[in-house]
Amino acid sequence: MLALRTAPANSAAYGLHLPVCFYRLMDPSATPILEVANVTKRFGKFTAVNDVSFAIADGEFFTLVGPSGSGKTTLLRMLVGMEKPTTGELRLRGKIVNDLAPNKRPTCMVFQSLALFPHMSVGKNVEFPLSIRGQRESERRTRAWELLKLLHLDPNRYYDKNVTQCSGGERQRVALARALAYDPDILFFDEPLSALDARLRKTLQKELKDIQRSTKKTFCYVTHSLEEAMVMSDRVAILRSGMIEQIGLPDEIYASPKNAFVAEFMGEVNLLDITATGGTSAEWDTGRKPLALTLPAPLDVGTKRKLLIRPESLRFIAPGDTAGNTVPVRILNQFSLGSRIQYHVEVVPGCTLTVERLREERSTATADALLGWDLADSQILES
Amino acid sequence: MSDASPVTPSKARLLERVPGLIGALSASPFALLMLFGFVAPLLCVVWFGFMPSKTFSLLQTPTLENYATIFNQTYFKSILWSLGLAAVTVVILLVICFPLAFAMAKIFKGAASFITYAIATSLFVSENIRLFGWVIGFMKRGVVGGTLETWFGLQTDSLLYNIPVIILGMVYVYLPFMLFPLVLGVKMVPDQVREAAFDLGASRWQVFKKIDLPLSMPGVMIGSLLVFVLSVGAISEAKILGGQKVVTIASDIESEFTYAQNWPLGSALSTMFIALTTVVVFFALSRFDLEKLLGKKPAE
Repeated sequence: MLALRTAPANSAAYGLHLPVCFYRLMDPSATPILEVANVTKRFGKFTAVNDVSFAIADGEFFTLVGPSGSGKTTLLRMLVGMEKPTTGELRLRGKIVNDLAPNKRPTCMVFQSLALFPHMSVGKNVEFPLSIRGQRESERRTRAWELLKLLHLDPNRYYDKNVTQCSGGERQRVALARALAYDPDILFFDEPLSALDARLRKTLQKELKDIQRSTKKTFCYVTHSLEEAMVMSDRVAILRSGMIEQIGLPDEIYASPKNAFVAEFMGEVNLLDITATGGTSAEWDTGRKPLALTLPAPLDVGTKRKLLIRPESLRFIAPGDTAGNTVPVRILNQFSLGSRIQYHVEVVPGCTLTVERLREERSTATADALLGWDLADSQILES
Repeated sequence: MSDASPVTPSKARLLERVPGLIGALSASPFALLMLFGFVAPLLCVVWFGFMPSKTFSLLQTPTLENYATIFNQTYFKSILWSLGLAAVTVVILLVICFPLAFAMAKIFKGAASFITYAIATSLFVSENIRLFGWVIGFMKRGVVGGTLETWFGLQTDSLLYNIPVIILGMVYVYLPFMLFPLVLGVKMVPDQVREAAFDLGASRWQVFKKIDLPLSMPGVMIGSLLVFVLSVGAISEAKILGGQKVVTIASDIESEFTYAQNWPLGSALSTMFIALTTVVVFFALSRFDLEKLLGKKPAE
């Protein structure tokens, strides 16, 4: 059994940001713990997962992201053994596990509903996998106390507490402790944090990452929030209608989204419908009248693409200032996001853009302003 | 709303009381019905048990002679038969119904409602008529005996008038009362909780023992109590299928009120039996705290 290191309160290793080269070491070709090879799952005529292949490295925090209906939960259920792939292979440490039942697999899942046992105390929930294994009561208890401490639940208070009386965050921790007690090779998560409020979710995301680092376990997380994936993951795979759209390091995906779907998924971005008119010039279809724009790269005449501009790349142009592209806009609304201000601006009626500036760079403009961006800050994407 | 009259304290008090008053008024017809249709007759029966034997008036000097008669004679046998048959029925029904309930709650889809209707429809036919159907099945040269004789040349005597056939009748008659609460009980077990247990390494048997059974306990308890209380007062199964092989307490009570014309003794027997059943049921309820099983109460 793998001994868990309890989190040191003040450790330099904790704050340490691992350099990118470290993640490169985790390249799946090195030591894949789980390989998914051409896996397809059909329910009748509906294809939920379509010929998906990827590998998860040992000790990696891997996240599958996708909107609802993208097949991420079906994929996860196959990985833990609750569904069988229609075709394709699942290999765990090189061994095919397609038909291995969940109770025979060294993997474990934290459910969206958490699936705690409502008729058992916190302690008994955590001890469940140990009692199944026939471990002695004293050993089970010791282990449960260790795990509760690791997850910041005071065992004296929580061991005998009924799980139905625990708060959302406490229940999360109990579910994670129970899964860790099973001591799985890979821990799967089916968006367990989605029911929590934003603040608690952020705290638990960080804790989850800490626990993954201190236990050196392989975590495979499923979520519909790319933001959540970015915070925790070493690598991210984006699913769209049963297929992997893009897979890579969070930074890579942020810097160069493969297409408009991935870009849109990252949150509030501006995607402009453009039609190339020769060279680097193009027309932006605003819905009312086309606006002439300059593209960062040349395109064939008549090609239809999307132009991605992040809200933070847009800026208000002061007199005398220049930018690659400028458009006159009207400021509709501004929202304070703490350190930043978000503006909703209208180019023509019905066509709006989102702008985000730091509080210090607050626009002095009232209603009408000139908005601009540098060519290097825009990207041409396929839709 | 133009009417902005302030809510005075007296008005507020009235408003607070109104829901209570309406509630009390709506409950009163039922309360009266229970009072005159259930509590009063029950008290009459209890009181009648203290009247001298073979009399028909409530206005006499109370006596314990009926209870003395009960303890001096062999009525305890019929009581034991009733309790025993009821207990066996409950156990057999639990074993038969749990798998079926599980299938209906978790596996069958359209078939589950078909089974529900099929079983509920059987309740439309009176219990006695259904039991006479079994008599035709099991009598000498009946459906079963006749088939065995014609097809296999086996000579059988009547299969009726024995204890197994009484139990069969009881299991058959009370099956819906066990099945439906069990279906509801099993439905209360969340699928993900079962999956989680399985995922954490539990075998099918361990999942059943540690998850399914404890979490569907409310259904198990309600079904068992319902079947027990109903079958402990059963009379027709033993009479129709069992002949006079077994005399249950209910048929003892019936004969005291009818053939023997001894209402005080019948009343005393009823009183005693009601008391006994109540004790058994409350004992069972206290052993299995429903609230705690449902997870509403903290485990102290």
